[in-house]
Amino acid sequence: MTARSFLKRKFLFVILLLSILILPLLSPSPYLIHIITFIFIWSYITTVWSYMGRFHLVSLGHGAFLGIGAYISILLFNDYNISPWIGMLLGGMGAALLALILGYACFRFGVIGDYFALVTLALGELVALMIDAFRNVTGGSLGMTLKSVGTSFYYLQFEKEIYYYYISLLFLIFGLFLWQIIDRSRIQKALRAIGEDEIAAASIGIRIVRYKLFITLISAFLTATGGVLYTQYMTYVNPETLSGMGVSLAIPFKAILGGMFHVWGSTIGTAMIVSLEEYIRIMYGARFIGISQVFYGALLVALIIFLPKGLYGTLSDYWHKRNDRRASKIEVRLS
Amino acid sequence: MEQLILSATLNGVLLGGVLALLVFGLNLIFGVVKIIHLAYGQFVMLGMYVIFFLVTTYKMNIFIASIISCIILGLLGILLQMIVINPLLKSPRLNQLLALAGVIIIFENMAMVLWGADYRGIKLLLPVIHFGSLFVRTSYLVAFIGAILTLLALTLFLNRTYVGIAIRATAQDLDSIQLMGINPKWVYLITQATGGILSGIAASFFMPIYAVHPHFGSAFTLMAFIIVILGGMGNFLGGFISAFIIGVVTSISAVLTSTEIADSIDLIIFILIMLVRPQGLLGIRESR
Repeated sequence: MTARSFLKRKFLFVILLLSILILPLLSPSPYLIHIITFIFIWSYITTVWSYMGRFHLVSLGHGAFLGIGAYISILLFNDYNISPWIGMLLGGMGAALLALILGYACFRFGVIGDYFALVTLALGELVALMIDAFRNVTGGSLGMTLKSVGTSFYYLQFEKEIYYYYISLLFLIFGLFLWQIIDRSRIQKALRAIGEDEIAAASIGIRIVRYKLFITLISAFLTATGGVLYTQYMTYVNPETLSGMGVSLAIPFKAILGGMFHVWGSTIGTAMIVSLEEYIRIMYGARFIGISQVFYGALLVALIIFLPKGLYGTLSDYWHKRNDRRASKIEVRLS
Repeated sequence: MEQLILSATLNGVLLGGVLALLVFGLNLIFGVVKIIHLAYGQFVMLGMYVIFFLVTTYKMNIFIASIISCIILGLLGILLQMIVINPLLKSPRLNQLLALAGVIIIFENMAMVLWGADYRGIKLLLPVIHFGSLFVRTSYLVAFIGAILTLLALTLFLNRTYVGIAIRATAQDLDSIQLMGINPKWVYLITQATGGILSGIAASFFMPIYAVHPHFGSAFTLMAFIIVILGGMGNFLGGFISAFIIGVVTSISAVLTSTEIADSIDLIIFILIMLVRPQGLLGIRESR
């Protein structure tokens, strides 16, 4: 990257950030703020999912981590009045513990690729079933409502949505920042080698199990914190929206359609999917119930077929190609 | 208590027959086209709705309705292969999986639009058979016999006909069959059609047992996958046997604890099998 394009990119980034920061002050409709907050939270979760996904560690069970984080935190808060910040930490640790057990077993026995995806899919469903099974504690499929304490930073509860807007933005920025840190570290190189060919990576002395566990634990922990954030914002949890197959598949959907090999991919994918969902729901939802969802599903399938690298991936490929072509044209002219 | 467990075991065996029906098509598609057909349960769901619709609206005989639904599902399988799977044959596995998850959204909501969210069933009066003090539901028994007959028919088809042998060859070695002059695209289409017909057969036998609703399929898809993996992907006999294992385990643990715990036990078995013996009980280990 040349110095000029680097500066240009920085400049664009600063403008984007500023406009996002200022936006709520212009007092747009609360609905818009709600949607954007929603996009931030899910972008954060999708981004931490793609920490693993980009190294071909495709997990279809992140719902398990979301559910564990959310339920640990909400139970601690409702029953023992423990701050969700601590709940976030403990929930994250719970999720990380689960990830440690399953991850160690999987990586130790060499469960990779499709097999890993199927095992994690079962894990997500397992957690959802467990939440259902212990219904006298968790409320089962009826879900649970967060106790209300008014506005309190300590209890991570606010009456105005604007607070959630900024807090979830902070989380998202942290997620993206951590991506950059991982991207520049040795870990990324090791994991990429493992993702390409495990046996070859092992033969040159890369500790496969250790590296894979490391990234899985981070991803699980952060996903659980995302679950807590979501709970605090929605003030309601149920196993369907947080664990189980539906949400576990919805996360990779967003990552894939954005382009999971790029920092911005997950965010762009989430923004696209959430706005698409909302647009279809509002435009057609009231007139033809159900048809709007058929439409949405068809659109998702079409996007997967025609944009296999995701929106960001495809666009940046196109961009690079165009730049290359331009560069070669200039060279021709010079010669 | 012993009586309870004994009858649970018997019902588990019969449930195994019902589950085995579900697994045949999935196993075939898994083995030949090598995709994880996430929307298979939704095929069964649509098949049941078609039967329901034909029987209640057109007052059709349930047998004819079942045959028509098999044909429709076969065509749907071909359509799915042509529109969704063919363009994705060479893309990463995750993309195929998510495309099929999109298909689930389409199918479920289509059923919701066409038939509403209510539970729909056909009332069939079948006698209850009892051996001593053990009671057996006739609908389960019929499904059980149906599963065995379907397995026989499928084995004959795969072993005795040219097309069947081509399908098996495709499952074994994709490169060689192309040298032998078989077009894999056609084999895939035929496999999908067969898979669709098999899901139609499953739907026909499910009709007297379950009431159908738009989310009916998803309850069975994961269960079906557990069985397929347990028996070894693409292995029919293994799938058949493990259907009975899962059936008995589910049935007994549901009696002893609750249905959620029973389902969790199935999932834990599944995860353990994946860790220790990913090729399944009867599968042959491939190099990974």
